[in-house]
Amino acid sequence: MSNVIIDRAGNKRYLVNITVNGDSYEKIVKGNSLLVNFLRDELDLTGTKRGCELGDCGSCTVLMGGKPINSCLMLAVEADGLEFTTIEGVASTNEIDPIQDMFIEYGAMQCGYCTPGMVLSAKALLTKNPKPTELEVRTAISGNLCRCTGYVNIVKAILAASGQEIPAE
Amino acid sequence: MYLPDFEYFVPESIAETCQLLSQFGSKAKVLSGGTDIIIKMKNGLLAPEALISLKNFEQLRKIEYVPGKGVVIGARVTHNEIVFSELLQEKYLSVSNAAQQMATNQVRHKGTVGGNISNAVPSADLPPILIALNATVTVVGTKGERSLALADVFTGPNTTCLAQDEIITEVIIPDQEMNCSTYIKYGLRKSGALAVVGVAVALNVENNIIKDARVVLGAVAATPMRTKKTEDFLKGKEISEELLAEAGTIAAGESKPISDIRASAEYRRDMVRVFTKRALRKAIDEGRHI
Amino acid sequence: MSKEYAVIGKGKRRYDGREKVTGAAKYCGDLKFPNMLYGKMLGSPYAHAKILSIDTSEAEKIPGVKAVITAKDVPSLTYGISPARWDENCLCIEKALFVGDKVAAVACVDEETCYKALAAIKIEYEVLKPVLDYRTADAEDMPQLHEKYARNINTEIHQEFGDVEKAFKEAYYVRTDTFAGQRAYQCPIEPHSAICIWKDNKLTVYSSTQSVHYFQHYIAREFGLPMGDVRVIAPYVGGGFGGKLEPTGLEFNGSVLSRITGRPVKMFYDRQEMFQHNRGRHQGTYIITTGVDKDGKILGCHCDFRTDGGAYTSLGIASAYYAGALLPLTYEFDNYKFDNYRMYTNLPACGAHRGHGAPQPKYAFESHMDNIAKELGIDPLDFRLKNARRPNTVTPNAFIINSCGMKDCLEKAAELSQWRDKKKNGLPKGRGIGLGTGSFVTGAGYPIYRTDLPHASCMIRVHEDGTSATLYSGSVDIGQGSNTVLLQMAAEAMGYRYENMKMVSSDTETCPLDFGAYASRQTLMSGSAVKQAGEDIKRQILDMASNMLGLPPEDLDCVLGKIFSKSRPKVEPLTFEEVARRFFVLRGPVIAKGVYTPPRLGGTYKGAPVGTSPAYSFCVQAAEVQIDEETGQIGVVQAWDVHDVGQVINPVTLHGQVHGALFMGLGETLMEEVKFDDKGKLLNGNLGGYLMLTALDMPPVKNALVDTYEPAGPWGAKEVGEGATNPTIGCFRNAIFDAMGVSVNTVPLTPEKVWRALKEKNEKSEAK
Repeated sequence: MSNVIIDRAGNKRYLVNITVNGDSYEKIVKGNSLLVNFLRDELDLTGTKRGCELGDCGSCTVLMGGKPINSCLMLAVEADGLEFTTIEGVASTNEIDPIQDMFIEYGAMQCGYCTPGMVLSAKALLTKNPKPTELEVRTAISGNLCRCTGYVNIVKAILAASGQEIPAE
Repeated sequence: MYLPDFEYFVPESIAETCQLLSQFGSKAKVLSGGTDIIIKMKNGLLAPEALISLKNFEQLRKIEYVPGKGVVIGARVTHNEIVFSELLQEKYLSVSNAAQQMATNQVRHKGTVGGNISNAVPSADLPPILIALNATVTVVGTKGERSLALADVFTGPNTTCLAQDEIITEVIIPDQEMNCSTYIKYGLRKSGALAVVGVAVALNVENNIIKDARVVLGAVAATPMRTKKTEDFLKGKEISEELLAEAGTIAAGESKPISDIRASAEYRRDMVRVFTKRALRKAIDEGRHI
Repeated sequence: MSKEYAVIGKGKRRYDGREKVTGAAKYCGDLKFPNMLYGKMLGSPYAHAKILSIDTSEAEKIPGVKAVITAKDVPSLTYGISPARWDENCLCIEKALFVGDKVAAVACVDEETCYKALAAIKIEYEVLKPVLDYRTADAEDMPQLHEKYARNINTEIHQEFGDVEKAFKEAYYVRTDTFAGQRAYQCPIEPHSAICIWKDNKLTVYSSTQSVHYFQHYIAREFGLPMGDVRVIAPYVGGGFGGKLEPTGLEFNGSVLSRITGRPVKMFYDRQEMFQHNRGRHQGTYIITTGVDKDGKILGCHCDFRTDGGAYTSLGIASAYYAGALLPLTYEFDNYKFDNYRMYTNLPACGAHRGHGAPQPKYAFESHMDNIAKELGIDPLDFRLKNARRPNTVTPNAFIINSCGMKDCLEKAAELSQWRDKKKNGLPKGRGIGLGTGSFVTGAGYPIYRTDLPHASCMIRVHEDGTSATLYSGSVDIGQGSNTVLLQMAAEAMGYRYENMKMVSSDTETCPLDFGAYASRQTLMSGSAVKQAGEDIKRQILDMASNMLGLPPEDLDCVLGKIFSKSRPKVEPLTFEEVARRFFVLRGPVIAKGVYTPPRLGGTYKGAPVGTSPAYSFCVQAAEVQIDEETGQIGVVQAWDVHDVGQVINPVTLHGQVHGALFMGLGETLMEEVKFDDKGKLLNGNLGGYLMLTALDMPPVKNALVDTYEPAGPWGAKEVGEGATNPTIGCFRNAIFDAMGVSVNTVPLTPEKVWRALKEKNEKSEAK
């Protein structure tokens, strides 16, 4: 890798160029920096959360080229040259995305900590599959753990955002 | 949690990759999707001095049919790429379905088949179905390229026969006589769970006779395991409920499960019986290769 | 009964909805301050060990390490959330009592340095034999964890009401059953964190907490500071479920580190440390004996329990009392005996976990009921209807029940689940239907520490031009939606609009005292204070409007911001804005306050306060399951929940709470279990090994409500947040019992356990 510097302790640091929410950032990072911490600490984008740091809960979900991944399992150096969307990039203006609107309408968030990850998983799903079945919705969010809602209203909100009827209870 | 310090390399060629691996020896690890290795490093199980990233190798990201060879899956293909591959869904739906049952959606978008094989966890979901379909892997090192049966790659829990300087470049599912297959994963929840028992089945069925069979178990031995006695029992026999049930019992006897926090050995053994029977049924009824 | 209101009873969009869906909501771990350090604590690697020496010199040499502290650097005053058992230290002094018990702390320039510093601290331990099994913790050869508590008995309870022995003698059938439950953990998705800023003699603590008041009280006490010099702020909180109600080593040690370094210090737990800190569900063994008459009427009941409290008390005394106190709520009987031993063990401490001490005992009780019903040949539904509590009754342990929709909930659940048809016609093989009842307090009758302070207070201030109004309340929204619900209540009481309300909450400096989010208290208690304040605002507005209109105030009313004459519809209404503005010009700010103290409740026996409440919710859950007979897997075809919550304030947040509580109850029923090895070390302190339901595992749920009015609650409202965990485990065990005729007597009801029970049943019938 080019753009390597040696710091005072003799460790290598790397200049990376990472695009987040359409903005390009050039920062110097340690090899062992994780993308989730880069986003939260370097870029102050704290919407991406740390819940477990081992890829089990999905609260660190970001979109890498439109695909949901766990940013806690990705190195910042691996992100060099790639494009990401975080929750802050879902609504690019003052208008919120229909998914976000439906989340509020259907009470799909309670404590809100899993919500950024959920919204991104939903966004990735509906971008690829605009009219998913309920099973497809549940599969899309199966890597996002929620402790508050039992997923009931989250599934309803995503189906509503896709313009489909919500199955009667 | 934090990761130990390491040097990060992004080689431009596979040859350079093998060279770096050879140079660092056991102190280097390959970084593919990272979903296994980063976890191990956070848990203090691994502290490599060098991580060699395969990030540049787009050529390892393809899934294509090569006449004479079969379906070739590049080592850097992600699990979700396997799930959504039209080619695989058509030719070997069982492989797509197996990948779908792995981990979580997010991990499937990042984790790769090469990484999954190299990690060699006994409960991994892809190896059993790939072995049942007689898959081979192409491995490249400083001394050149070689091909081996996937079944021969695993030598123990979390260990493979790959040399220090070798990486997997592709997995090949050869054209074959087997005309139906399936994989059933039994986990304690429907997502984000390791297999308690995994059963992969590939059969050559003609006129209700099982002409050939491969039954591969996951999570019930140190590595994915073939069940020779079960396979021999099935060969040449006419399909019936009793036959499949008996096959299940034989497979249970061949399995070598342990007790751990997920299940007892006794339960696992009985689940081998149940799910072998069910996998055979499912392969026959629903698992036709097109 | 159900009345149409202008603001309450409506599914208003959440006050914090936009912040949460856009990622703008800042939780404690998201906050940064200039010059901030990061801090962490070192946990003992042993479950039970004497601390012989600590050498921090190597750690102090690491670049970026700004402070390293041990017991000698922190207050030695023992603390605990339960005053009767102050048994914890900021940092362990002589002994570590569980793997992860806090022995040292560091403050460093970044997280990575913290981990490295902790690893460089050298501690010499003398490893002692650990007590790992609560069932034998009091045996002769077991070491004693705490000097003051012989035989490791943390809490011992013996209560008797009426005459149980006599009841058993007169009974047609007496039966004893034993059940056991597992350790579970709240697992809020947001890990605990705290940022402590000690400047001069003022301490500010940001914390992911359920109660800014209790934190303020206990932190002030620990450091000998007047409460006015301690400010506690809860930013957005990512779930608590009872585990974030007490200050932890993060707050205490973070404060010391901030004082020493003169910088803000952000302390945090990672996920494994969350499991070690715990304060989750007590596991226990529950022996229940009940005597019934020949029609199935319960005559008397004896509950003999033993529970695992872990290394410290936490809220465990209350948990130990709740385990038995709530059992006589759903069914009427006069004779009740309750014994419980809460044991100390060298495992993470257990505390208040949603449902607080009651879910496992209720599982035992509901399962026991079904066993009795089966023996007598009575349908489980009819058995419960026969014994169901009625409104305006008193329990044998002196809890006063006003509203009670128990019978209605049972009938409604039966209707929704088509219970009677299914029982009459039978269900296909392997399928079964079961139910369970539940009840819970709506706020605890007494505070956690002995005080005469009101439980809730608040202020409302109308903006100078009346275009908005702000509610100041020390309550905490931990996700349950209290901000939204309280703002709706304020607007309703004021005659104003929800959409123009603002909230200032969870900050001891800007908000009046409120005990916070626990025991499902805020809707009723904080809400009662809010109603009072809102009504006072309305009174002031109507008084001013009366001057402006030349009409008596009794003739006026205010609804949704319009003030009108009740008797003269032709009079042009005034707007809230113009009246408020006029008021401000003439008389100054439009301000009102509200306060709430529950009435003095409960009997005079030992432990009587625990379980008292101004009101109780009631509910029924039913479930239809399909058992895979070969694997033991429990497929949930459908789950139903019917609740008696009195007046609904916000149906969306209400049903959301039911969904979430049912989800947690189902998790504990089917798959959640914290496991340890034989040295007391966690085996599954992560979210891949500790299994909670994913979106693919959650079954279809149908909720309904019955109509009641609770006189003790604002507009007749009661709780919902915790009661829905009460019936769940028993409901599913009963459904399995119905499907397969096997009883799984330990929780979680895993497939392997069902498989084993079926295997034993088949072996028994084959042997015949």
